[in-house]
Amino acid sequence: MDLGLVVPELLLTAFVFVIFTVDLLSSRKRVLGYLSAVLLVVLLVVTVLQTGTGDLSGGLYLVDTYTHFFRVFFPATTLFVVLFSIDYVAKRLRYPGEYYSLLLMATLGMVLMAGAGELITAYVSLELVNFCLYVLAAYAKFDTKSNEAGVKYIILSVAASALLLLGIGYLYGVTGSTTFREIAAALAQQGSSAGVLAGLVLIVAGLGFKVAAVPFHMWTPDVYEGAPTPVTAFISIASKAAGFVLLIRLFSLGLMPAIDSWGPLLQLLAAATMTVGNLLAIQQRNIRRLLAYSSIGQAGYLLMGAAFLSESTVNGILLHMTGYTVTGLAVFLCVTVYQNLTGAEDLEGYAGMAQRSPLLALGMTMALFSLAGLPLFAGFTTKFYLFTAVAGHGGLGLVALAVVNSLVSLYYYLRVVRQIYIAEPAATGRLEVPRILGTALVVLLVLVALAGVYPYPLAAIISVAVLPLGLPG
Amino acid sequence: MSNTYLFDYSPVFLGVLLGAGLVGSLLLLARLLAPRRREALKGATYECGILPVAGHNWMQFHVRYYLFAILFLIFEVETVFMFPWAVILQTLGNTAFIEMMLFLAILTFGLAYAWKKGVLEWER
Amino acid sequence: MIPIQQVLTISAGLFCLGLYVVLARRNAVLVLMGLELMLNGVALNFITFAVYRDPERFLGQIFALFVIVVAAAEVGLALAIILRLYRLRRTANVDEANTMRW
Repeated sequence: MDLGLVVPELLLTAFVFVIFTVDLLSSRKRVLGYLSAVLLVVLLVVTVLQTGTGDLSGGLYLVDTYTHFFRVFFPATTLFVVLFSIDYVAKRLRYPGEYYSLLLMATLGMVLMAGAGELITAYVSLELVNFCLYVLAAYAKFDTKSNEAGVKYIILSVAASALLLLGIGYLYGVTGSTTFREIAAALAQQGSSAGVLAGLVLIVAGLGFKVAAVPFHMWTPDVYEGAPTPVTAFISIASKAAGFVLLIRLFSLGLMPAIDSWGPLLQLLAAATMTVGNLLAIQQRNIRRLLAYSSIGQAGYLLMGAAFLSESTVNGILLHMTGYTVTGLAVFLCVTVYQNLTGAEDLEGYAGMAQRSPLLALGMTMALFSLAGLPLFAGFTTKFYLFTAVAGHGGLGLVALAVVNSLVSLYYYLRVVRQIYIAEPAATGRLEVPRILGTALVVLLVLVALAGVYPYPLAAIISVAVLPLGLPG
Repeated sequence: MSNTYLFDYSPVFLGVLLGAGLVGSLLLLARLLAPRRREALKGATYECGILPVAGHNWMQFHVRYYLFAILFLIFEVETVFMFPWAVILQTLGNTAFIEMMLFLAILTFGLAYAWKKGVLEWER
Repeated sequence: MIPIQQVLTISAGLFCLGLYVVLARRNAVLVLMGLELMLNGVALNFITFAVYRDPERFLGQIFALFVIVVAAAEVGLALAIILRLYRLRRTANVDEANTMRW
């Protein structure tokens, strides 16, 4: 076994313990946030320098360009979440040590989800992520909402895992294996049967919960509203991406021979997800609930790509996912900072944000426009890639629905922007954005604009990342 | 998507129908058949035939027991991994040994962590 | 040997029983018990398939071990969170946890 291939994963594991230990031994808790950020930067540098590829333990864990892309992607996302957690945790939460170690441990789980080439590995990494998120969602110990979010999340999520496991069980019973490649070989040989179909339906349901696809989305708004804001960001951005990463890996390596069975199922799910998400977002008053429904809508677009799984659509999915991640981080950074400074939770609280903090207002506006898919921003370009790819594979009807949905989403994003710029502020006085967060926000906004105008370097990296999936066209 | 597509799913649909029917009819049956008579003794806790000690089944235990129980549960269940490991340790050799020691080290770290955080202290 | 259908029926039955408890009960602790039943059904499913379909490698049995361990950890975590909510709200009923709506 060549452990040199998984240095980043091992390093990340070690860092989790470093933070736990420092927390046990030191009494200066504020250091922990900065320490986690520094450790993540170190990890990113080491990871970027890694080049080796290969399989571990006969295909249990696959180190290829796909894994490599995501072991940069997830720690980078976590880095930003850590940055805007620092003030929030210091002000509103207790026990920073566990907070940051759980964030890092969840990141480890996400990376492992990307590399898993086998169902047991995939399941254990999925649960690693889930466990950390349960605790993080209920982290505000004396806040009823946060505790409610935790209870709902854990109960529904365990039920979803049980469904997923039952599906995996049937699939294993039919194919006699748990490695993705052997499953694909067995499926290609024996064709579909009742067992395979039952397994597929259950697996789609289980993973659909993780990515908040529509019949399984009931937990999302409550958890997003109840959990501490940086955790909401982490769940809605990183954990959702991780769900898609696993879904794409499993479906392209393992279940591709049965695409005729699950393709239409995902189409249906995608249509329902984007429509329900965007329509329910319209009537939301709480900003985090609004973002929750909007992220359900985004998941619908990504699912649409997954329904027509092929090289070009996966390219589109990863591109849109990256664009969405950068944009979402910018939105949540603004929301967290603003909430931390003013305590605003509802849309009314955002009235006159532009007069109190032009930088935050600009950030929110750019990011919301990008989410809506206006030209010049990341959201437009990545959506364009994704929609063209899907249309090219016969999903024209769904793409039309998606375009209509984008227009609907523009409506409720504009409502927020109107509050920010036109409504009169309830309180006056300039808000002081911490310098490090201001810098982080500017970096994110530059990335949003860059991905909107000049996405070619990112597209080039992603086109290499999807190669190991071995998809047609 | 072929013409037989929906037909292929018929076992699944059938399963869903059967499941819903079963749950529904069971609920309905319980509603219809179960006699509902309330008696004080029926609400009493069943403790292998003797009269209950505390009187009602929501008797409170001290909440500290719970933490010990959870700790015990976790550590006990983790030993599940040691049984298969012990059976084939001889054929796997040193790597397996080191891996298990690493696993135990992580568990011990967890125990030390709980200890340091004061979970094991009775008085606080 | 017992036909595989019988064992699979038992595991499916366990799973459905658990699902019924999860859907019908309001007390969070009972819901948790239902979840455990579901996971037990799943574990039995894996073991059955391992014995009947995969006797050389036993992958399903390994999977079952992981399911058991994860389930135990899950109970610990869920109980802790439910206890927390109980202390704040003085109720362990799931549908009374309704501070947030739509």
